Amino acid sequence: MYGRKACQLVKEFAGGEKGQLTPFNSDLFEQVVAECSQHHLELQSLIRKIQEEGLDVQTTRNADHHGALIHHLALVRNKRCLMAYVYNRAEVMQSLLWKIGQVLPQEIEEKLCHSEIEYFKKHSAALRSYMSKVQLDLTVDMVPPKDPYIQVRVLDDIGDGIVLKQFISRAYRLILFYMKNMAWPLILLKTLHLVILDILYKS
Amino acid sequence: MAKYYDIDDIITEEEIVSVIFQKEASGVGIDPSSETDYIEAGSKLRQAVSVNVPPCFNQNTRLEIQADSACVDLRSRCPFFYEFGCKVAPLVGDRTIGFLLLSAFKNRYKEVLTKAHTAAFTAASKFWSILTKEEINMYEAAQSSMASFKKWRMGGPRLQKASVLGRKRKSTE
Repeated sequence: MYGRKACQLVKEFAGGEKGQLTPFNSDLFEQVVAECSQHHLELQSLIRKIQEEGLDVQTTRNADHHGALIHHLALVRNKRCLMAYVYNRAEVMQSLLWKIGQVLPQEIEEKLCHSEIEYFKKHSAALRSYMSKVQLDLTVDMVPPKDPYIQVRVLDDIGDGIVLKQFISRAYRLILFYMKNMAWPLILLKTLHLVILDILYKS
Repeated sequence: MAKYYDIDDIITEEEIVSVIFQKEASGVGIDPSSETDYIEAGSKLRQAVSVNVPPCFNQNTRLEIQADSACVDLRSRCPFFYEFGCKVAPLVGDRTIGFLLLSAFKNRYKEVLTKAHTAAFTAASKFWSILTKEEINMYEAAQSSMASFKKWRMGGPRLQKASVLGRKRKSTE
């Protein structure tokens, strides 16, 4: 049946948890695109047929017209499904950017297709440039914090003079209070994970 | 157009209706005599096909809704019962569908709201399975409103003594 595959794609997205991404189904996506071009070909051949019979394409209402109409509607429908799939994924990615910061964890990045990663990078670059313009990190503290300081533990040797500066350089497993917005990027970087927030870790 | 990207709206329109072709259509890859099509196509093909009343609005369902609408399992019939009903009603030209939807919604609305505010989670999960997607959204909204109301009423101490003050006093004692 026409339009079935495209809807499968949409249903797959809807089946996932809210705010979570499912792996980009490039296989099915390609199939839908192929189906679209098939529709396009058939549509063209039907239109050509009407023209060859010397009839006016705008006003004829014969079998060919209705066939072409069905192909056209199937095409529009497929397009809508594809657009909705991409659009909704992009929205999820945008919200991820606000939630988890500028660098995507490995397991999420695997779920994205190439152009989506590109989109995420560009979007975060745009946000970064805006934040540098207003000189404020907007992604921190979406909910007002009770205390600007948080307790963190150094999990790894961070070497000298990175973000935390001399203050805790080479301070392995030290527990200390630190400004939340400074420590946050380090907490989010799980791969390079340097510092952990005890409270968060437990919850 | 506002709903163009709406996933739920797309899935609503995927509901299958049986149609009868009134005009010939050539070059279509399916046997027109047993064609099934989705409604969006139906809405524009209105002159070319006639749409039958979908099974979820048949006589059986109507009788059940009249008897006790709150207990009818609408979800298994159609996950977007109301939206789908609104979309399909002008196509099939059945004026009674509107009344059916209205009466079903009115009766179920009360039930959903009371259950959302009172029922415990375990009891609710059974009740969930008969709700349509629209009703579940409503149910969740009701629950979250109740949760925030409770939070507001019980709430944490809103006027907290600054921790610095407390410490100071202790040290002087």
